[in-house]
Amino acid sequence: MTTLFWLQTGACGGESLAILSAEAPSFEGLVTSHGLELLWHPSLSHAPMKRFDSLLEAIESGAQTLDIICIEGSLITAPRGSGLFDSYQGRARIDIVRMLAAKAGHVVAMGTCASFGGVHAASPNPSDCIGLQFDREQPGGLLPPEWRARAGLPVINIAGCPAHPHAMTQTLAALAAGMAPRLDALNRPMDFFNTQVHQGCTRNEYHEYDIEDEQLGGPACLFFNLGCQGPMTQAVCNSDLWQGVSSKTRAGVPCFGCTAPNFPRDADLFATAKIGDIPLRLPAGVERARYMAYKSLAHAAAPTRVKDKKMDV
Amino acid sequence: MARIELNMSLNRVEGDLEIGLTLDDGVVVEARTIGTMYRGFEQIMIGRAARDGLVITPRVCGICSTSHLFAATLALEHAWGVTPPPNAVRIRNLCLIAEGLQNDLRQTILFFAPDFCNARYADEPWYADVVAAFEPFRGALYLETLAATRDAVKIIAHFGGQWPHSSYMAPGGVTLPADLRKVFACRALLDQFQQFYERRIIGLALDAWMALDKAEDYFALLDAPGHGRSALGLISRAARGLGLHGAAAGVGAMLSYGAWRDPENPEAPILRSGFYDGAGLAPLDQGQINEHVRHSWFRPYEGGRHPWRGETIPNYMPDGERYSWAKAPRYGDHVVQTGPLAELLIGGDALIASIYAAEGGGAWLRQFARMRRVGHELVHARAMLDQLAANLSGEHFRAPEAEPDGDGYGLTMAARGALGHWIRVRDGKIEKYQIVTPTAWNASPRDSAGQPGHWEQSLVGMVVRDPDDPIEIGHVIRSHDPCLVCTVHMLDTGRKIHFGP
Repeated sequence: MTTLFWLQTGACGGESLAILSAEAPSFEGLVTSHGLELLWHPSLSHAPMKRFDSLLEAIESGAQTLDIICIEGSLITAPRGSGLFDSYQGRARIDIVRMLAAKAGHVVAMGTCASFGGVHAASPNPSDCIGLQFDREQPGGLLPPEWRARAGLPVINIAGCPAHPHAMTQTLAALAAGMAPRLDALNRPMDFFNTQVHQGCTRNEYHEYDIEDEQLGGPACLFFNLGCQGPMTQAVCNSDLWQGVSSKTRAGVPCFGCTAPNFPRDADLFATAKIGDIPLRLPAGVERARYMAYKSLAHAAAPTRVKDKKMDV
Repeated sequence: MARIELNMSLNRVEGDLEIGLTLDDGVVVEARTIGTMYRGFEQIMIGRAARDGLVITPRVCGICSTSHLFAATLALEHAWGVTPPPNAVRIRNLCLIAEGLQNDLRQTILFFAPDFCNARYADEPWYADVVAAFEPFRGALYLETLAATRDAVKIIAHFGGQWPHSSYMAPGGVTLPADLRKVFACRALLDQFQQFYERRIIGLALDAWMALDKAEDYFALLDAPGHGRSALGLISRAARGLGLHGAAAGVGAMLSYGAWRDPENPEAPILRSGFYDGAGLAPLDQGQINEHVRHSWFRPYEGGRHPWRGETIPNYMPDGERYSWAKAPRYGDHVVQTGPLAELLIGGDALIASIYAAEGGGAWLRQFARMRRVGHELVHARAMLDQLAANLSGEHFRAPEAEPDGDGYGLTMAARGALGHWIRVRDGKIEKYQIVTPTAWNASPRDSAGQPGHWEQSLVGMVVRDPDDPIEIGHVIRSHDPCLVCTVHMLDTGRKIHFGP
């Protein structure tokens, strides 16, 4: 059995809820079919809180082996680094996290908050939030950049706000099977962070011909005017659909780049910053002069059905 | 980045709550609910673009992010003078209801009912049935509820792209129109959920269930084979057997902002709003809402302040009289409770009114109301889908003509009760944002006059048999549908014991 302990820190509970939407495998499937023993989960564990206390003691003393610790939520360090703005029994939760991380085979950051600081670390970062091993884009969070868990990996960052249900359950299933996921430069498992949100968006034909919406509620592309981060954001939202049904961009909601360390960016989230008519930030790796030429040609080549926004998404 | 510790606002939303109890010979004589986490959402909003609340505030709560999105949208529509078209209101209602379906069943079957599997109840006549149904990750109803609620939120994904944390409602409507494909896909999901509810949760047909309007008719059902074997029948048998119908009523005053909106008249809720003072019903007046900080870790001010005048400047003093990161919201001077019981009692559910008149509102009735609400949710969700099907070409979004500076509020009934957002827009930016959540009302600390909050009052008088395993407190607190992490401190003969889900 692979033991798993789930701890919430400065959290909304979004990952705990999102993971219940996973189907392949489901969260309960991890327990019934993938050999995971759920030592503790804050909203699903049946045992009274004294069990939580005795587990912490047993893990700390080494009497209980801890294979995987999942942290959900920002690491709240205020006031003055004490962490007491998020306490348990008068003990700062960041101290509990440090203890558990030191004992665990793998440390998994569930969501952008635990990975990078997330929404609570948005300016002016009122409760001095950081991630487990990053502080926004900067390496080094609650744990230093060189830190490694017992099994040899850094904190595994399953970024997202919330994290994608299958990014969570499939990573846990892999760890339970003894597989070590390949990580990208932000320590995100590459199996879930090596495709753009843009890839698979049903608005792509509009994007291709540079037919852009200027207001919410339309069928066209959201990249040029409405702040969509899909071409710059790595996630499986449009290749492994949410709830098996859809994605934000398909539904006409701009991608806000929630798997990135700077989420939420310090700007109007429904607007695209531009140089002239062209977005300031271009799709990853694209050269500006060529992009301008391509867009101008593409726009001119748009078929009427696309130009008139007659195509459903 | 400015890092000013003493200029933050409070998360008094969900999250970590501790409750300090004073026991006298095993009887609770005083209770204090303690919010132990501060995140600062309202501070993060200041200076951002007006619409950013549609992205930031759903992240306040993972289980009711749709309600926060709705309240944020309403607040901006109020400030900008925008009225959404009927189909937008229908889609909003449908998605709010889908979130309610998942909440009400998950809370009941995954969070509340497992307490009855406690070994202390092994000799109770219902124990074997309860364990077979509700044991975590094994019980039949537990596993079926995981599957059914997984499907319910697919309805939100059809219109919003994902659940939780999408931003598909915006001033003027919703981002995606209804079409034939989505309407029938959602209809299939809803029909399937309704069948599960009828067969496994209430044990009778929805029509017959909604037609029940007298307490005695419901009590007679408890012995009927269909309902008796259902989830609700089982919960009622266990909870009433333990006396939870006569326990922990808390304060009599109740508050509802009204559930869902009339598509043709979006100002008006479908289930009416109001303030019930324990004797009669008065129209809702949001001007009566005010928040106290006398016992909270914020810079002190006198009395209570309306959210538009409110401030949340942290002032952490762990060892004094102040004990919580939660403010104390009051309606006028009234301590109130909110949630499904308030929603249905004020909203006019005859069965709830009849039971309330017969035996008052205890922990069991609060839980019962949550399960009863699912029936209303199913009826209205179906109506929204039928109306959408009959109006497929209707508008779903009207871009606001102007986005002037102004003040606005958005009030709704989230799964846990009355949720309000108050916004002040200046120069196109957010100058002030205040959120008063349902849990802020229910889990409120004492106010300036020393009046304890609703949970605090509901716990007084409870008998705790085993301070090492205070399961009675768990029943009561969970009947309020607390947020995901709730901790109870018990102070008894110097020992400190924690209890929580």
